[in-house]
Amino acid sequence: MKRPLLVIALLLIAAAVSATGIPGDADGNGILDEHEYRAAALTYLVGEGDLTRTDIQDAAWVFTHWDGRPLEITDSTGQTLTLTRPLRRVVTFSGEALETLRSLGFDMDKIVAVDKYSHEKTTFFPECAEKANVGSWLSPDMERILTLKPDAVFLYATITTATCDEIQQKLEAGIPGIRVLRFDCFKPATYPDEIRTIAAATGCEDRGDEFVAFYTSVMDRIRTETAGIPDDEKTRVYFEYWTDYKTFAAGSGYNEKLGIAGGYNPFGGESAEYPEIDPEAVIVSNPEVIVKLTGQQLAAGGYVGRDIAALEATRSAITKRPGWARLAGVDDDRVHVIHSDILGGAQHFIGTAYLAKWFYPDRFTDLDPNAIHQRYLTEFQGLDFNLAAEGAFVYP
Amino acid sequence: MMRPSANRLFYLALLLMILPAVAYGAPVTRSLSTAEPGAGEVFTVSLSVGDMPLGGVVETLPGGYTFAGTEHPDDRTLIQGQMIAFTVADEAVITYSVKAPASGSGDIVGVWEDFAAEAHGEIVPSHVAVDGVEVPEAGGSPPTDAQAASPLPLLTAIAGLFLAAHHRGGRR
Repeated sequence: MKRPLLVIALLLIAAAVSATGIPGDADGNGILDEHEYRAAALTYLVGEGDLTRTDIQDAAWVFTHWDGRPLEITDSTGQTLTLTRPLRRVVTFSGEALETLRSLGFDMDKIVAVDKYSHEKTTFFPECAEKANVGSWLSPDMERILTLKPDAVFLYATITTATCDEIQQKLEAGIPGIRVLRFDCFKPATYPDEIRTIAAATGCEDRGDEFVAFYTSVMDRIRTETAGIPDDEKTRVYFEYWTDYKTFAAGSGYNEKLGIAGGYNPFGGESAEYPEIDPEAVIVSNPEVIVKLTGQQLAAGGYVGRDIAALEATRSAITKRPGWARLAGVDDDRVHVIHSDILGGAQHFIGTAYLAKWFYPDRFTDLDPNAIHQRYLTEFQGLDFNLAAEGAFVYP
Repeated sequence: MMRPSANRLFYLALLLMILPAVAYGAPVTRSLSTAEPGAGEVFTVSLSVGDMPLGGVVETLPGGYTFAGTEHPDDRTLIQGQMIAFTVADEAVITYSVKAPASGSGDIVGVWEDFAAEAHGEIVPSHVAVDGVEVPEAGGSPPTDAQAASPLPLLTAIAGLFLAAHHRGGRR
């Protein structure tokens, strides 16, 4: 083609830009082909056309990561979203989603605001201390969010569903074109798929594959080993929540993790997900292993500080409860304290490894939860955090 | 407190560190087959492009110098007056030819954009003069935005002021 004609053709092609579709998709067919991308880029380079630098960067991104096509994803609520641009200004209402984004190597500079709990976790999310705080998903600062003009917001999928639905509706009404992505990121059954979906949405597919491989290597190792244990040979476990005599039953995330680790929960059949148990019933159940959860409201331990004495005191107090000296778990010295940082959220695979090891020490001699934890922090979270000297997550 | 000579060294070291990063820091460098072409001679400009999967380069020629061709694909090249734009897709080198005027000198200036890495910057200007004779441009192209925005002259001036001040201070 003669150059003057080529110039005119490029300018004409690049002039037609869909405002909502992929930038540079001149023919509006929803796909950015190579010719369209080049035309858009050249037109921008010589200072013509309406596309901004960000538009061209978005076009290059879509061309590179999604082969020039819109990406359709389904989140954990079942809603389908069609993405035509990368996520640039992200707000997270879920610390688990935030942590997963970091595992995937997402550019944390593109996270413009976080929930108040993540904001407070300055040891684990040091890069978020200076970001905007938009409150919790239970009490969101909607005005603040609107002023930040995010293009994507991460919310929980299956907890406090009505509240999250309401937030989503307000966001979609207030910010046209916003993408509300809902994932839990704490449930073993759905986490691998959630990682892959978030990885696709953020263009971090390779890293997503690495992280899923790491995660499933741990969880599959545990599942494979415990799958063959007959129900009547499973270790009987009393797992106590933060509150005394509060445990969990079928349907809760903790029960799922306990089940994967091969534990038998004598209170699994309670009607409430988090039932309060009569102290006498615990004694009657005579658990072989007792696990106490700690870490409520950034209390001692976890990533906050190396307060092993606090975990030790929690364990000691449990063993001194009236009548507990007779329990098999106390008598056999199989009482453990675990911090919710490594069992309740995205790090549940680390906590599950500890549970498996406690329930079946002979079956998991090769399983090293501490090494798994350290690898996760160093390799996937990019944190300079030495477990040999910092933090307190389990006792003993 | 640092002594004047130590101060001078400190500022020099600081400027040496800052200048490449602020002014250019570019992954793109330019080389010419000759910086002193003969009248009407066609010479070659080579742009070495670093790791840039999707990006672009815009070159601006001095007044009187004209674009004479390139091996770069037609649909990835656009000429607008003195500007030549190339899209980059993993190429290591982009080469183009320029025809020199009967006389004249000036700088070939350029900017680069790495769309994938979301970075951009300037290419160090290359001075050309027909037969090595400096002739002020008459009616040449105006400076590009990149030239106008370049912090190099300002930083050079600051460096000069620092050095001059400390040189005088050292004699007192």
